[in-house]
Amino acid sequence: MNNQKLQSVFTEALGIDASQVVDDLTYNSIPEWDSIAHMALVAEIDDQFDIMLDTDDVLDMSSYAKAKEILSKYDIEFE
Amino acid sequence: MSTVFYENWNLGDRPAVVTLERTYTYEELNTDIEVFGKKLQSGEKELVVLLCTHTYELLVAYLAALRAGHAVMLVSGDLDIDLLTTIMERYQPKWIIGSRKLAGYEQVEVSVWRKSSSKTLMIHPKLAVLLSTSGTTGSQKFVRLSYENLQSNAVSIVSYLRLDEQQRGLANLPLSYSYGLSIVNSHLEAGATILLTDESVMAKSFWVFLNEQRATSFGGVPFTYQMLQRIGFLKMNLPYLQMFTQAGGRLDDRLVKLFGEYAEDQGKQFFVMYGQTEAAPRMSYIPPNRLLEKESSIGIAIPGGTFCLDPNTSELIYKGPNVMMGYAESLEDLAKGDEMNGVLPTGDLATVDDDGFYSITGRLKRFVKLFGLRVNLDEVERKLEQELQNAVACTGSDDRMIVVVESEPSATIAKAYLESAYQLHKSSFRILVEEIPRLSNGKMDYQAIKDGLV
Repeated sequence: MNNQKLQSVFTEALGIDASQVVDDLTYNSIPEWDSIAHMALVAEIDDQFDIMLDTDDVLDMSSYAKAKEILSKYDIEFE
Repeated sequence: MSTVFYENWNLGDRPAVVTLERTYTYEELNTDIEVFGKKLQSGEKELVVLLCTHTYELLVAYLAALRAGHAVMLVSGDLDIDLLTTIMERYQPKWIIGSRKLAGYEQVEVSVWRKSSSKTLMIHPKLAVLLSTSGTTGSQKFVRLSYENLQSNAVSIVSYLRLDEQQRGLANLPLSYSYGLSIVNSHLEAGATILLTDESVMAKSFWVFLNEQRATSFGGVPFTYQMLQRIGFLKMNLPYLQMFTQAGGRLDDRLVKLFGEYAEDQGKQFFVMYGQTEAAPRMSYIPPNRLLEKESSIGIAIPGGTFCLDPNTSELIYKGPNVMMGYAESLEDLAKGDEMNGVLPTGDLATVDDDGFYSITGRLKRFVKLFGLRVNLDEVERKLEQELQNAVACTGSDDRMIVVVESEPSATIAKAYLESAYQLHKSSFRILVEEIPRLSNGKMDYQAIKDGLV
């Protein structure tokens, strides 16, 4: 459930295909995930999961896997 | 300090440039420039194109080309290949510095390409730098800046920012962008240290570099400040940071206030500035001690410059030694001399208050700034219409461009075109599919489009 939700947040914010959203997708590794898109991504995560990521988490969120790890700190579970 | 910012340093072991890898002293930089300059010698003034990457090597090439007396065109290193090719065909540069292979050029060294068939062309002796009028959109129209334009603006910036040898400024904006270039030029003029990074404030490595290198300043466009606010900059404790500057479009009053108050609390200085590439680029700034009472203004003219308003149109007119020589749209234009005589009609409409602070109220022509990139709405509209063979209306504000098309397939093509040709992020524009509202005279009703969204 949350997996799917996060995946669609990434697809939407980065404007990429769902198939590209895999654990080792990393910041700056594709042109679509630049700083501008990162800002959109963070806003979308805040919105969709109703949280407010703090500074370190925004800066640390450098891959899809890392995003799941960070979100679990906010009591959002991924199976 | 120096006679011009790109030569005659006598700073020996002082650090000039710091990259992620190492520190280069002024002496080393000087030597590297001399060595590189020899590769560009041909006894004539030539056009050198720099495909800008954010590296020490590129910085050396830039300064070497200036010292050698060549004219230097700076374009983004990741410019779309088709746009780059069009620019190259139009301006026929003798030298290209960068890692891309282009037809008709032979490699004489790593990253140095020379035109195989040489054609003598006349370049005006005063022409120093050519910068695109619209950042990275690959416009073929360039601003012609003279040595004096660059030097006078660097001197002026050093003076109002009070830059000295102790400063360690982050050069975090592209060199092909006039604001980014002016940070480099002014720090060299001051004999200060340039901390070279192209990381975004959204990256952890940016903050590691800033802290480890004890950066005293950084610059940002409005979007940088939006990001800074989101990542909690206003709660950060940055003991070495003395000032931060903002330019590249209007920052909304709320953010000016927030960052201004932060600066005041922390004993730092926040400089809100205004400029255009046509002025090399700086024209005005708000003195930090007046920022919180003048937050919606563009401040006062920089040292050496003056503002006035056109009595008929209220257009803001700037006068100063940093006003460009003129535009270039073709190879032949490189031979032209100064066409401006130090007077620049900015295209912005403005008012002035009793304290002499100017405020922008609108624009004569239709431009928006998307993430610091100046986009001519009329031009985008024309290009899209050619692409779609259908009517298109472009409007919007500095936050977002609005494009109206009249069919779903058009919307798909328009989106792809804006993303590829203009390299715009999809969050910077919105495409609506509807009938384009028109005024009784048949002209597009841009106001109705904007109103329809509210």
